[in-house]
Amino acid sequence: MADLFLLGVSEIFQIDMLIVILLGVVAGILAGLIPGFTVTMAIVLTLPLTFGMEPIMGVAAMVAVTVGGMSGGLITAALLGIPGTPSAVATTFDGYPMSRKGQPGKALSLGIWASFLSSIISLVVLIAIAPQVANFALQFGPWEMFSLIVAALTIIASVTGESILKGLIAGLFGLLIATVGADPIAGITRFTFDVDVLRAGIPFLVVLIGMFAISRLMNSVERTELVSDIQQKQEDKMKSMKFVLKPKETFMSIIKKPVNLIRSSAIGSIIGAIPGAGGSIANIIAYDQAKKWSKESEKFGTGHDEGVVASEAGNNSTVGGDLIPTIALGIPGSAVTAVLLSALMVHGINPGPLLITNEPNIVGGIFIAFLVASFFMLITQFLGIRLFVRVTEVPTQILFPLIMVLCVTGTFVLNNRITDIYLLFVIGIIGYLFTKYKFALAPIIIGVILGPIAEVNLRRAFMADPDWTLFFSRPISLVFLILAVLSIAFTIWQSRRVKHRKAQG
Amino acid sequence: MGEIVIGIFLILLSVLIYFNSGDFPQLNETHLDPGSYPKLIAALLFSLSLILIIKQTVTLVKAKEFGFKDGFKNFMLKQWHEYKLVIYMLVVLGLYIFLLNILGFIVSTIIFIIAAGLLIGPIKKKNVITISIVSFVMTVGVYFFFENVLYVRFPNGIFF
Repeated sequence: MADLFLLGVSEIFQIDMLIVILLGVVAGILAGLIPGFTVTMAIVLTLPLTFGMEPIMGVAAMVAVTVGGMSGGLITAALLGIPGTPSAVATTFDGYPMSRKGQPGKALSLGIWASFLSSIISLVVLIAIAPQVANFALQFGPWEMFSLIVAALTIIASVTGESILKGLIAGLFGLLIATVGADPIAGITRFTFDVDVLRAGIPFLVVLIGMFAISRLMNSVERTELVSDIQQKQEDKMKSMKFVLKPKETFMSIIKKPVNLIRSSAIGSIIGAIPGAGGSIANIIAYDQAKKWSKESEKFGTGHDEGVVASEAGNNSTVGGDLIPTIALGIPGSAVTAVLLSALMVHGINPGPLLITNEPNIVGGIFIAFLVASFFMLITQFLGIRLFVRVTEVPTQILFPLIMVLCVTGTFVLNNRITDIYLLFVIGIIGYLFTKYKFALAPIIIGVILGPIAEVNLRRAFMADPDWTLFFSRPISLVFLILAVLSIAFTIWQSRRVKHRKAQG
Repeated sequence: MGEIVIGIFLILLSVLIYFNSGDFPQLNETHLDPGSYPKLIAALLFSLSLILIIKQTVTLVKAKEFGFKDGFKNFMLKQWHEYKLVIYMLVVLGLYIFLLNILGFIVSTIIFIIAAGLLIGPIKKKNVITISIVSFVMTVGVYFFFENVLYVRFPNGIFF
């Protein structure tokens, strides 16, 4: 453990590395802050910039963007009652009333401290758990890996989006896209239909940018979106409020009630570790639990300290939790960690249970980068918040073309191929239609990244032993498959119950 | 309605993949060849899409309403009003991508930013000036950053 840390420190504490992390944190905060611009989008667009970097620096940059992004949503949530990202929805419940009562500075300071402290707690959880999980996973054969991927995908499909059916369809669509191009074992070209563009397969980054960035951008120029955006911005101007941050007092007030902070961070870390569930769910659940356990639960919703702390601690601690399966198993639980893994893969590093053993400097680097990014987030938030608030004033007509150009350039940079941009265009339209009809995008992305791994393991399993019952007779594999079935059954049961209740009124 | 269209598209896709998975060269793998896994996924996707289509059709028939409450023409007008910019943007983006190789990165990007910006925002003097400046700075910035820091060669086009 200590050597992981030392390796990480020696990798991260270099001047260029620290500058990259700082820039990443600022970029993340800005992304979290601008309504309509998500953290995922920011991290997707960061990826092409990291191609020229060392692998550690690239990963550090992306961890920094994530940590910053999770805390960026706080600013608009607390000041304007508009969550900058979905992960900050519950922050508006108490942060906004607090600002309206004339304490915007207190709301922001509380949120910043909660974000910081919960990040640290989730880092401790990550460091404590990830190596154990990885050790355990070393026993996995191809059967277990395949079943694990099946379980991960079904859980993602059931957690995200409107219905499990659509989630599963999205996941399968991702798996199917991933089969285009060279077959992962024999290298035989598949499903190109004599179209040259498809010969090399559909690159992961193109799917990411198309699905997450282009579709979101198209969504932002719909009439209703544009109108609500303009209204928000006019309100912004009215509320160019003055506030005084109170770092010391708010720190003390959080520290005096450690239970709330620790509970919310634990909830966030656990939810983050579940594939598919992330900041947007953790922040609501942490808030809800804090309200249930609090002695002053009637004060929630009126601008109560504990509400702000719980919701911000809930969303920021998912980052650490999310990294557990990513580092220990090579299974990304969210689009953000999927990008992180693909950054490693671009540099020829294979994620999986062996990552900690084979690339201790990368893993140590991720831990330390996380720590440093949390500190930078704390400092830049307290120092720069006044500047950040002004960024929400940038109008859509400037933001839209700029981000679009970044998408196109980012895609081109990957392979220096114009044809990739044609693919981007098509996938962007598909992604837009999918979101329009409420298919979740995360399963598609995770499907694309896990598809080849699933196929390799399935075929290896059959090469080792043609007996297919092994998937059910090997205990760990069976547990994963049962988990998959349970997650489907549970979701169906739950949605039936909701419908039933609605029917009863 | 849209779900059904997506469902049909996915069914076509899975059928296409399924029936193109048969003729890959066999290696000495006895049980699974390069076509087996895609076949499995395609079959699953096919059945789930079918369920989706059936479910949606049932709800659609039950609701007995096809979204044209105040006439088909009005409905289309509303839709056009809502999605006008999305379609414009797709066209502009498509043109941009198409022209990238012909006009080169710098020229086409500047034109794209100005065109998209003016289509979304109001055509006022102040707006035109801001967008023009932004487009120029952004394009040149991106160009030099990627060419010099990441050694990417952008298409130069016919002018340079």
